[in-house]
Amino acid sequence: MAQRRELIKGSIDSLLLCLVVQQPMYGYQIIKELERRSQGYFKFKEGTLYPALHRLEEADLIQGKWQTLPSGRQRRYYHITEKGLYSLAAKRSQWLDFLVAMNLIIQPASD
Amino acid sequence: MTTALSHYLDSVRENLRLDLSLESEVIHELETHIEDELQELKDTGLSEEEATSTCLTLLGSAKLVARQIYETHSQGSWSQALFAAMPHMLFGLLFALNWWRGIGWLLGMLVLVLSMVVYGWWRGKPAWLFPWLGYSLLPVVAAGLLLLYLPQGWSWVAILLYIPMALLLVYAITVKTIRRDWLYSSLMLLPLPIIIGWFLAVEPVDKLPEYWLQRLQDFAPWIGLSFLALGVTVATFIRLRKRWLKVSVLVMSGLITLTMVAYYTEGRLSIPALLILIIVMLLLLLSPALVERTLRHAGQRPSV
Repeated sequence: MAQRRELIKGSIDSLLLCLVVQQPMYGYQIIKELERRSQGYFKFKEGTLYPALHRLEEADLIQGKWQTLPSGRQRRYYHITEKGLYSLAAKRSQWLDFLVAMNLIIQPASD
Repeated sequence: MTTALSHYLDSVRENLRLDLSLESEVIHELETHIEDELQELKDTGLSEEEATSTCLTLLGSAKLVARQIYETHSQGSWSQALFAAMPHMLFGLLFALNWWRGIGWLLGMLVLVLSMVVYGWWRGKPAWLFPWLGYSLLPVVAAGLLLLYLPQGWSWVAILLYIPMALLLVYAITVKTIRRDWLYSSLMLLPLPIIIGWFLAVEPVDKLPEYWLQRLQDFAPWIGLSFLALGVTVATFIRLRKRWLKVSVLVMSGLITLTMVAYYTEGRLSIPALLILIIVMLLLLLSPALVERTLRHAGQRPSV
């Protein structure tokens, strides 16, 4: 469990950027979407999500904007910025390189 | 929203210690999140009480959430660090370069300090304002000290009238600062023990003012150095994220600069006087935390 937490901790920024690049999302929606798409593997707590979102916003990688829904309720939607797009491209490339290298080592030899 | 969840948000708010606009944004965002969570839990068939209890468990510790959000916003930029360190640096240069005897430099410094305080207050009290605010109180302290040199009898009348008014002013500003964040109050009061230390070391008893000025002249480079050290401290303070590190930096800096005062004045500041000054320094730097706690318990939520 602790190992999984450490793995997730190192990937939070990439995960969040990957989600908001597809469409602007608000905090609760992000938690649900991550859980759904990872088939329950990623279960973020608020104490993990909001500091991460605020950190990405401080770094100008995403931008939060309040929007009022037709029901009158308000949501803070996070949009990716241009800097965020560049950062995501770099993170994706790093991640794929890492994955390929890990697979080469971790997978049992076929012959 | 249920009372338990409102209390949860109040607890987050109390521990956030961010400026008011950012604080209300964070709280509003968490509030909308909780509403969604609560609604979804109730839709699964849970009662209001069960949904609230589950929601609180999912949210985790309010203090932890607040601390983690605080740490994402607590690091000031390099320009903010420079702005915050500037009054100490200027004050240090005033002595290091021997400009302190020029009335023009002193007036210029006073005008600059007051202008920065007004500008910072108008810009919503950013962290860099507080060192400037501390220096803006310096003329109040200096005027009080000068009252001691009035002719016999008059000084007592002036002191009895002046000291309560000055204390009231300093107290009001300190409490207002504590309501924002007690650490900023410590930042504001940081130079005070060093100023008192230098005053005690330089001030001769029953001697002419000319002699006093000469002593000040002798110690000016070291006075300058001690204030430049405060500048470095404040810049470090602004760049740090964690509160305990910020507190440690202030206390360490207070200890180092007071030791510098004792060392460079070659025994003019006695050991008991130094120890008393260290206690005063610790009280000035740490008592705002107790005042903040008292204000909270008295029901006056710190929120400026």
